[in-house]
Amino acid sequence: MTRPPLGDPDERDGGLDRRELLKAAAAPVVAGVVCVLAGSSQRAAAADPPAAEGRGSAMNSKPLMTVRILAGTPQKIGAVAHGSRIIVPVVGGDFEGPRLRGKVLPGGADWLLQRSDDVLELDLRITLQTDDHATIFMGFQGLRHGPPEVIAALGRGESVDPSAYYFRTLPRFETSAGKYAFLNRIITVGAGETRPDGAVHRIDEIL
Amino acid sequence: MVVPPPQKLGAVPHGTRVIAPITGGTFEGPRLRGRVLPAGGGDWTLLRSDGVLELDLRLTLQTDDDALIFMSSFGLRDGPPDVLAAIGRGEPVDPSRYYFRTAPRFETSAPRYAFLNRVITIASGDRRPTGPIYTIEEVL
Repeated sequence: MTRPPLGDPDERDGGLDRRELLKAAAAPVVAGVVCVLAGSSQRAAAADPPAAEGRGSAMNSKPLMTVRILAGTPQKIGAVAHGSRIIVPVVGGDFEGPRLRGKVLPGGADWLLQRSDDVLELDLRITLQTDDHATIFMGFQGLRHGPPEVIAALGRGESVDPSAYYFRTLPRFETSAGKYAFLNRIITVGAGETRPDGAVHRIDEIL
Repeated sequence: MVVPPPQKLGAVPHGTRVIAPITGGTFEGPRLRGRVLPAGGGDWTLLRSDGVLELDLRLTLQTDDDALIFMSSFGLRDGPPDVLAAIGRGEPVDPSRYYFRTAPRFETSAPRYAFLNRVITIASGDRRPTGPIYTIEEVL
């Protein structure tokens, strides 16, 4: 199940590419002791033996599930203090992955905010019900942006290749079901695709 | 520099709250580098009843060309009890022995760094006795 680090271009299918952004050393105990990071290498961790030994520096991931969301009629709140607000109710859907599957219960929504820099912020809350009747609260924050013509096509409800825009989310889960309690303990990343009838999110667990 | 110790608030409704002020640090990557400002940041950690430590970090980065960047992150730290106990005692522990992952977010008004406003990122953490080191990746 475990795949190589997602930066590997040979491992793109179903997963997400990543590249190192930065390395931050915060010093809550003694300022300045940590850390003059060696060199300017993109793989600074390689010069940092404790971090380089294991997954501490090279994150792997594996598919968690794909969630298909069916959207209801958008509620256009319009211009608000932080941008333009649209609330999209979730009326149903389903999800499936190696360890869980089931349906999306009606009742959730995505509280979308179009920012002044043309980035769409997502703020979703839904409830999943597994095929063995466990309920799971799923929420995420995410970002969607892309070329104006692509975003306009999505706005017209057209089908667009998801590689034409950036749509990434950070799903979180809560459940009391012991079988699915692993969801309470993981960081996950989703790749989204806007569909005419809703959205599809392919979610990877960060190992 | 004299710095405050962790502020142990103890049992609160959602778990055990410990606030760890951040008093400095550095950051470096292919497109940005600089220092962590010494005042105002911290990690509002919460030890949950299931043994998972939730992290809620806020700090300010200052680049080497004087741009300011607000960084916040939500994260989870989890692992075998003996490993977490060793970390708690301030011992160095191989980060591969525990799960320490976060999802940083950024805000800046500096055009040169505005790409940070538009990316989803994830990080692996390494809890050193002197403070954590985060290796942050941009999700492409």
